[in-house]
Amino acid sequence: MAQRVTGQRFRQRKLSTKQSLPVLRESEVDGLVDDEAQRHVPRVETGVEKAEETEHHLQAVISASAAAAVGGKVAQLYIPTPDVVQNEKQYDKLYPKAFKQPATYIRTSSTVEDGTGCPYTADHSDFVFLKVANQRNEKLKCTVDEFEILMNSFEETAASKQPYAAVSNAPVLSYDDVEAAMSDEVPEEARTFAKVVYEHWKSRRVANGNRSLSPSLKFETNVETDDADPYVCFRRREVRQTRKTRGRDAQATEKCNTLRWQLEQARDLMRKTVIKVQTDHKALLLERDVFLQRKAVREMRRTLNIKGDDDDLINQKPAQKPKPKAEPNMAQRGVPGLGVKTPLPRADGRPFDSDLLSLQDQKARKKESITSFIDDNLNKHQDWNKGYVDMTWRPITPPLEQSLKSTFRPAIVVALPTPPASEEGEPMDIDETTVGKRRRDSFDVQYETSRVPPWENPEKRPSFRRRTGRGGRVMIDRRGIQRDRDNANEFYAPRAYTSPSHKESKSLYPGQRALKRSFGDLEMYDRPTAKRQISDHDAHRTFDRFKYDRDSDEDEELYVIDPHSDSHMKYRVLMERSTSTLQLRRSQGGQPPGHHRSASGQHLIPPPA
Amino acid sequence: MAPREGSNEPSGTPVPLEKGFATLATLRTGVKAWVHKDGEYRKAEILAIQPKKGTNTYYVHYEEFNKRLDEWVRPDRIDLTREVEWPAPEKPDKKKTQGAPPKAQQPQSKSDAASKNQKKTLKRPRSSQGGTPEVLTDAGNSKSSRPSRASGKENKEVTILAPEITDLATPKVEDEEIDLVDVQDAAAAAKAAPPEEYSREEEIEKLRTSGSLTQNQTEISRVRNLEKIQMGKHEIEPWYFSPYPVEFAEEDMVYICEFCLGYYADVTQFERHREKCTLQHPPGNEIYRDDFVSFFEIDGRRQRTWCRNLCLLSKLFLDHKTLYYDVDPFLFYCMCIRSEHGCHFVGYFSKEKESAEGYNVACILTLPQYQRAGFGRLLIQFSYELSKREGKLGSPEKPLSDLGLLGYRAYWQETIVDLLMDGRTDANVEELGAITAMTTNDVLHTLQNLNMLRYSKNQHVIVLTDAVIEQRERQKEKEKLRGKRVIDPERLQWKPPVFTASSRTWNW
Repeated sequence: MAQRVTGQRFRQRKLSTKQSLPVLRESEVDGLVDDEAQRHVPRVETGVEKAEETEHHLQAVISASAAAAVGGKVAQLYIPTPDVVQNEKQYDKLYPKAFKQPATYIRTSSTVEDGTGCPYTADHSDFVFLKVANQRNEKLKCTVDEFEILMNSFEETAASKQPYAAVSNAPVLSYDDVEAAMSDEVPEEARTFAKVVYEHWKSRRVANGNRSLSPSLKFETNVETDDADPYVCFRRREVRQTRKTRGRDAQATEKCNTLRWQLEQARDLMRKTVIKVQTDHKALLLERDVFLQRKAVREMRRTLNIKGDDDDLINQKPAQKPKPKAEPNMAQRGVPGLGVKTPLPRADGRPFDSDLLSLQDQKARKKESITSFIDDNLNKHQDWNKGYVDMTWRPITPPLEQSLKSTFRPAIVVALPTPPASEEGEPMDIDETTVGKRRRDSFDVQYETSRVPPWENPEKRPSFRRRTGRGGRVMIDRRGIQRDRDNANEFYAPRAYTSPSHKESKSLYPGQRALKRSFGDLEMYDRPTAKRQISDHDAHRTFDRFKYDRDSDEDEELYVIDPHSDSHMKYRVLMERSTSTLQLRRSQGGQPPGHHRSASGQHLIPPPA
Repeated sequence: MAPREGSNEPSGTPVPLEKGFATLATLRTGVKAWVHKDGEYRKAEILAIQPKKGTNTYYVHYEEFNKRLDEWVRPDRIDLTREVEWPAPEKPDKKKTQGAPPKAQQPQSKSDAASKNQKKTLKRPRSSQGGTPEVLTDAGNSKSSRPSRASGKENKEVTILAPEITDLATPKVEDEEIDLVDVQDAAAAAKAAPPEEYSREEEIEKLRTSGSLTQNQTEISRVRNLEKIQMGKHEIEPWYFSPYPVEFAEEDMVYICEFCLGYYADVTQFERHREKCTLQHPPGNEIYRDDFVSFFEIDGRRQRTWCRNLCLLSKLFLDHKTLYYDVDPFLFYCMCIRSEHGCHFVGYFSKEKESAEGYNVACILTLPQYQRAGFGRLLIQFSYELSKREGKLGSPEKPLSDLGLLGYRAYWQETIVDLLMDGRTDANVEELGAITAMTTNDVLHTLQNLNMLRYSKNQHVIVLTDAVIEQRERQKEKEKLRGKRVIDPERLQWKPPVFTASSRTWNW
């Protein structure tokens, strides 16, 4: 009950590891050790396995030290351990004194495999075999190194081809098998012994139950049975799973690519270095050759007593080079603090100006290079696409169709200005006809003016295409035709008037005739279409036929025309200009030849006298 | 010699021991007989029997002795005039003790039964080899600490966890006069020993998840498989089993290359290897060099072969090390002494690249041929220098071996006593830890162990006892005579290595 008493006397505090405790000497503390106080200090385990904590020798040492603490002298105790015997007999033979300590700390990353040569190491029976085999064969001696390389090759082949040979009782690999699998690492000299060594290897394998010849550690093969086997060691630890993400994959790929690229660069560099060194070597050899030859020549000259120019016996090149010229400049350049340096003349002596490039030249060259680049690429692309057909249903980018461009030929329409009033003072029926400047790939169509001037909308310029259909029929396709009902009327009407064979051609107004005369050339151009004889009646029928051949009636009927809009103003200006040209032409009196004939070749008007 | 007194273990139901006289013919594995050892008869369990030259030889484990003293004995060393204890027949009832209680003077504990029980499964495959699992059990048997042996869940219910803090571990004044520094040579560590044991499955799971190299208590003890190894200038008797190739068990001598640590059973082959081997130092970066030793840092992932060789070698001398898993997650810090032959490997400690428990050492070993020369202390100090550089507190992985415990205790004592003797008037435990990179627990352990932590005048005080001071003075004198070898932090060229998430992911 002493405990309780002490407990009453003062309250014990727990030991705090953070609190500063006074450090005292034993003399400064009361002799009384309060055992109970110790209980408030957390017990710390020794860390030795419980079963072993009690072992005899450990306890002996511990109690000895305990005794020593009390003041008794105890002989030094050791925990007994099995024997170690020193044996230096062979040491110096086996371990050469080859180590030189570098001044700096050693840094290395080469592995055991790097430092121990061929993985197969010949043992006693191998040496016996080698000795016998080499005695038998006088000429060629198989070295241990060659032997080991061969044995290693066999072993590796067996390991890769028959990984479970020991279990499955597979027969030892045949000579053909191991020979076929022999890698490049086996040198030629060694191969000559392959057959002999193979027999030796085979016999050893057979004796060993077709197991690997060098004793190996047991690694895990089958989790179930391995667990209890103390010989199985160095199991793989479970791999921590990483989250597989696209990003990670991409990263890995990129790293691999970079690595590969770098390796290739390195290889390339090495290759080039080799080439350079070889070239250097050749150059040196040549130089030496030259030297020797010269020497011979000199000897020869001396013996033959030829006196003359010895210049060809030494290398003149350095002297011939324009270097000396450059040298003063070099010196000049080398002087520091010279202030403004005068521009040095060129090495070839020409003034600097002479090769100044003009900006234009530069630009032109640049442009040329750009165009040629584009052209090249264009050709390249066309080459690539040669023989390929784009079967895409609706290609995003329509392929370039040059043929299409050429088949549809735009009809360039020039509206005729309203002619001046004729002498007769009669109103003009036709106030517009077409005038065309022929383009190489276009033809002109004469038709009445559309409300919207054609240049307003060049994209929608009417164009036509001739093509051959089934059975050799020739068809004319058209597009970009814009007209409304009235226009349509007018479109066909003029044909009737202009066609010379028309019965009512006489009914042409004189003014009209004059017009025709003045624009006779037009009719010639119109010839292909004009061949069709269209009667008045026909014209109506034709109109009727095309009555609904329009995109939309309504749309075209509604026109809001702003007479002051740009387009209209332009239109009017043009009208005036063409009028003046017309007058000019007329005043010159020159008529283009053939104008006096209609398309059909009939005389419209007697040629002017 | 009588087994150590005072098993204050909580005795469960006393189990009758099956005793009786045996003849050589009836001796079998599991039997405990009296065997002559160092001038006395000790009780020893027969772990394996092997015929040799017409008679059987017996592999025995002496109770209360470390496994490293297990050995093959000829029959004439077995005292058959005394009764032997028969191994208990296996019983289906787990609660019953089956084993023959080893101690005559004390009843078998329940826990013992439990642990034996749990071994049943393991026993079978091994019996052919003759190694029995009981060894550890028996060793622990005598002591109160037994319950910790219990393994597996089924054992937990049965096991009585003895409040076994016995006389020995408790804060006794332990100012050792002996030079403990010399004794500390090998240390092994495994996972922190929890109060109860793991089953094998748990153990493996633990290994899997936390990546320790050390094995658990339930790991069976085995018959030593190598007879002798030859390494450098020395021929060494191995202490424990190591999973070298199975074929080596039949060899009289295994040759180990001092530099690449490769192993050969054939002398000719070994000599041939020496012709080819170009290594002259551990294959890594030298991170420390002074007049006496060099330290090399080796990454288990990059130098797999070398590190595996190293682990196989060190397993010969470390009981609790396990080679169950590969070496990838560890760094190996190897201490070498230099000569014109090269850098001779003296000892090493391994360290997890990332220790969840904050261990700064996983396994630590001075090769037997270099033991008792102060190398262990250097290794330990070096491990703490690394921790200081990392700005972390560190502690060795548990359990420690006997030699490991002594080595660490000596180092801790020296370090802390030196620190306290610098004239300071007060100190707190955490501060001491921060200065020395020791964990608070280790500081406490040391103070307690030296009986320096006392309660006086209403408060805790740290007492520099006369014995501690005297011991330190004596040690200093010795150092003056012999010269003291310490690690000079200035010469450490090292930055804590950083391992990226990917290197951990892909390579562990």
